[in-house]
Amino acid sequence: MFVITGIAASPGIAIGPAVLLPTADFAVSNQYIDVTEVKAEIVKFNQAVEKTLQDLDLCEQRLRDSLGAEYANLMSMHKMILQDPMLKDAAVRKIKNEHMSAQAAIFHTLQELANSFSQLEDNFFKERRNDIFDVGKRLAGNLVGTKNAFLSSVKRPSVLIAHDLFPSDTINLQENQIIAFCTDLGGKTSHTAILAQSLKLPAVVGLSHALRQTKDGDWVIVDGENGLLIINPDKHTLSLYKKTQRELKKAESLLQTINPLPTITADGKNFKLMVNFDPRTYTKDNKKLITDGLGLLRTEFLYMDIPQPPTEMEQYRAYLTTAKMFDRRPVTIRLADLGADKKPDFPLDEFDKDNNPFMGCRGIRLFLKNPELMHTQLRAIVRMASEVPAQVKIMIPMISCVEEVRHVREALNQALQELAQEGKKPVNPIALGGMIEVPSAAIALDGMINELDFLSIGTNDLIQYLIAVDRVNPEVAHMYDPCHPAVMRTIHQIIQTAHQRGKEVSICGEIASDAKMVPLLLGLGTDILSVPPRMYLRIKNRIRNLKFETCSDAAQATLLASSSEEIRHLVEELNQDEDS
Amino acid sequence: MITTDIQITNRLGLHARPAAQVAQTAAGFNCDIKITKDKVEINAKSIMGVLMLAAEYGSTLTLTFDGEDEQAACKAITDLFANNFNEEF
Repeated sequence: MFVITGIAASPGIAIGPAVLLPTADFAVSNQYIDVTEVKAEIVKFNQAVEKTLQDLDLCEQRLRDSLGAEYANLMSMHKMILQDPMLKDAAVRKIKNEHMSAQAAIFHTLQELANSFSQLEDNFFKERRNDIFDVGKRLAGNLVGTKNAFLSSVKRPSVLIAHDLFPSDTINLQENQIIAFCTDLGGKTSHTAILAQSLKLPAVVGLSHALRQTKDGDWVIVDGENGLLIINPDKHTLSLYKKTQRELKKAESLLQTINPLPTITADGKNFKLMVNFDPRTYTKDNKKLITDGLGLLRTEFLYMDIPQPPTEMEQYRAYLTTAKMFDRRPVTIRLADLGADKKPDFPLDEFDKDNNPFMGCRGIRLFLKNPELMHTQLRAIVRMASEVPAQVKIMIPMISCVEEVRHVREALNQALQELAQEGKKPVNPIALGGMIEVPSAAIALDGMINELDFLSIGTNDLIQYLIAVDRVNPEVAHMYDPCHPAVMRTIHQIIQTAHQRGKEVSICGEIASDAKMVPLLLGLGTDILSVPPRMYLRIKNRIRNLKFETCSDAAQATLLASSSEEIRHLVEELNQDEDS
Repeated sequence: MITTDIQITNRLGLHARPAAQVAQTAAGFNCDIKITKDKVEINAKSIMGVLMLAAEYGSTLTLTFDGEDEQAACKAITDLFANNFNEEF
């Protein structure tokens, strides 16, 4: 048995024989043709273009149905590449003047184009090379009639192992015998990952050496839940996964039925369940979710990959589109948490001498030193709030003391005043809340709670700061422990302090989408959980099957626990009750 | 012939979608449309050509239109730039 860890790109578990996608893209079998064949060769080329165009049309249609217009547009770009004079005319010229075979002409033209793109400095444009090759591969395939010959030669349900997959490959997988796939390259938000989710194919990406470690016909398990590829599993592992797979399948069909139902425990306690929204990876499936609102919009992405900070109007447009999707429900926007591992391209002095960025100038600290950045973002949010019926909430990241809250409140009031003079008043009052992730804010919370309208616990950073452990450092990463007694007690204290003043508390870190931890979080009194869209129905289902009384008792017990071990034991017990 | 300079003001530059819009719009006209950046000249009707410019935020392009419908083409293309390709994110 051999296990490779990658990135969980699409949930679910698949078990089956591996098939390796051959990497030899272009095998030009015939370099030159006879002069008498030129005319026929050009006809052949044009027919292949026609056929490829039809394929892409079909692909575009399917993408539009499954993922929406944005991904379909990717295919329309491919159609444009196919008909681009730089490809078409150049290839025909090679056939006509140099008597190349259509195959060779395509190959050489693609090489030339790819070379020009490789010379570009900008990574985004350089990557377009892949789109060109994707189109070229289809075209060449149609020319010799071996299109998808490989995939259609797979005769039994199999797991596809590839170095990388193009989106156009991915969309074709399901109608063939492919039940899951693994790739060496790719990330969680790559097009291929998002496609896999919408096609409901389990997938693990970013495995680095999956192709090299697997042989054709090897029995493999793709664990899309935990991002694992298990090659030749032993009997015990196999039966364990078969059981989990059955449970997941049962749960999946149930999940679809609970979407319209309220988030309420079996013993009748109501909770709010929201989504953490990323407009860049929002799919049609996600849009169908009926949620209690937007629990966390991370805004750092607006500041990335640009030479200057985003303008008020740019931000306003992004917020407006987002808020409109949530109608009258709450929309929580977090002020940009720049710094630490999210550094923008435009220069900021604060990053120059930052040896310990997680404790350095990030989040609200950076904004207070660059008030114009904060001012622009606040104005953009207020401008949006004046045009939508949603309840707009602003969350401050990384607050550590009450003065910071006061500064932001002043800046918000100023933005409100300025826009009021321009005739723009928020439809609903804007709430200002804090993300509690620095221990000092958690401990001295009673001193700042009056200045805040709501709280959110940023568990990822809070745990890291509480235990003083850098998750990126392999020597100590294992110490990062959501079950540490200090974590439970701190969350408890935050919620108690907030509830005494009638303020709501939400949790939006990874812990909120961990089905095993959810009972404790609810038991501790959390009002709102906010989870990524793909976890939404699962967590809702979990909550609907819980008894609040049991959760509450267990949560009280964790506060008395002296070790992580004891707490983990309580967690296991809670989840076993669930199973039986 | 019409020649005009244009600065890129959308945050991601002439990336995939805007490049497609430029090429698509250009293809709808009969006149020759060329775009020049840093001495590289391309046919605006070619999406790969437009992408090859790698025109990022803040860069300046020179557009030339030559042919019967050059007026209309110039207006259509410059409008795309002026509206930042209707981008939201």
